[in-house]
Amino acid sequence: MADLAKPVQIKDGAGPDKALRYRRIMTHAGIFVTLILVWELASRAGWLDPLFYPRPSNILNSVWLIYFKNGNIWEHLGVTMGLVFMGFVGGSVLGIVLGSLVGLNSLVRRFLKPYVIVLEATPRIAVAPLLIAAFGFGSTSKIAIIILVCFFAPFINTLSGVMNVNAEKLELFRSMGASKWQILRKLVFPDAVPIIMAGERLALTAALSGALVAEFIQRDQGIGSLILVYTRNLNMASSFACIFTLTILGFLIFKGMELLDQYIAFWKYEAGRERVSAKRRRAMEG
Amino acid sequence: MSDHTPPAEHRLIDGVLRLLPHLALFAFLLCLWEAAVAFGLITSIIIPRPSAIGAAIVELYVTKGTIYKHFSITLTEAVVGFVIGAAIAISLAVSSSLSERFKRYVIPYAVVLNVTPGIALTPVVIAWFGYGMGSKMALAAILCFFPIFVNTLTGLVQIDEEREELFKSLGASNTQIFTKMRVPAALPLMFAGLKIGLTTALIGAVVAEFAQATDGVGVLMSRFSFQLNMAASIATLLSMTVIGLLLFYTMEFLDDRIVFWRRESRRAAASRARARSWQSQIGK
Repeated sequence: MADLAKPVQIKDGAGPDKALRYRRIMTHAGIFVTLILVWELASRAGWLDPLFYPRPSNILNSVWLIYFKNGNIWEHLGVTMGLVFMGFVGGSVLGIVLGSLVGLNSLVRRFLKPYVIVLEATPRIAVAPLLIAAFGFGSTSKIAIIILVCFFAPFINTLSGVMNVNAEKLELFRSMGASKWQILRKLVFPDAVPIIMAGERLALTAALSGALVAEFIQRDQGIGSLILVYTRNLNMASSFACIFTLTILGFLIFKGMELLDQYIAFWKYEAGRERVSAKRRRAMEG
Repeated sequence: MSDHTPPAEHRLIDGVLRLLPHLALFAFLLCLWEAAVAFGLITSIIIPRPSAIGAAIVELYVTKGTIYKHFSITLTEAVVGFVIGAAIAISLAVSSSLSERFKRYVIPYAVVLNVTPGIALTPVVIAWFGYGMGSKMALAAILCFFPIFVNTLTGLVQIDEEREELFKSLGASNTQIFTKMRVPAALPLMFAGLKIGLTTALIGAVVAEFAQATDGVGVLMSRFSFQLNMAASIATLLSMTVIGLLLFYTMEFLDDRIVFWRRESRRAAASRARARSWQSQIGK
């Protein structure tokens, strides 16, 4: 409690801190290994029922089985990723287009607001059974669910991004005689890009969840149905192997979106700014 | 929801006048929808008539009253799950903000939990906690944990250095700095996290019900959909919206009362109440 209100500063950079960082990573790894060992030993000693709480060694074995020996996860992974991709693209295009239309038109915005509030309060995943009834079993209804689930974040973020125009910049644009289209293209949308990207990030995560729920309800293909089937058969080790796959997938999605953000909204980052200005300089010189 | 307060009757008339075009539009849309179904432009099996949905609502809520049992079950699952998740998240966030070391060792696990789509745990959670309400609460707790944890922690570790210096120069103890400076500064962000968490808790409860349950709004809804009783299904969906709005506005109300200093009108009311209590103490 001694340094209660004192923020501990972690210095960046190499040098003497390298040893510290190394030591910290080792401690992290040590704690992790200890936890795994405790889990394994608790299971072997009979304190944890391995039927419900699979041993780490069994999970590892399942990873080996479903990825390499039987290799049955690849097909399901491909199906799920395909669904996520299509639904995400559909949902975010829809969200960005509608968001810009609504954001640029104050009358539409005023009349749409109550519906947006109601939609926001509804758990959107709950519409899944309705969509399945409407579109039938198969990938159409799954994609529809994903579109619906990931539509909202890009929509709201585009809306607020388009509405939050810097008044001074707008005046500058107007005083230089920019046309309406030029204002949109050169001011409103570029300024909205960072917040739209933040919405896209949420949308992609939501898309993965939406795909899983859709697959839980229609248990034919995909990681979601695989997890469900494994758990029903009390093959918990394989089920956990699938869940850890999703952890890695989630992490990749997170990192991928970060990279995409650095590429699209490059002016937010020092490195991106330098990269683009170097490229432009070269283009001008050439 | 503006903060200025004109006289009461003006406000009422104003509100009604402002509401009228919205209601007119809503009625018009409903008529359009009804007509489209009636003339066969939309298949009534997929998208039922508004009047059919209305009839289903009356049946569910008034004549048969089947919804109340399911409604209360889902509400309980979401709220209990939310309370459990929020309690764990807030206590971990407070501990992490107090100890840099604890934070360092907790955060990787929290991040792993965050990048895993929590919904993927549904079948496992059901296997662990059974088919009853326990598994729904557990999933709700898991889903709402991260937004609350991250927001509370962010709020607690952001420190206004000038404010801290003021506290120190006035001789505040570490405990005082924590309770009087850092906690109040963290509250707005924490409430933002709690609001997100409440919505995700409801999602958790409903999804777990889809996967495996006997009671609850989620079950009711998937049952109606698979019977192609779309009107009743949409009526049930609307009751989920009601639960969502109920939870959201409860949280909004708490936010308004507890983080009163962020809103002009509430700040004034709170300071009036304090002035009154001081006056009564002086008068004593």
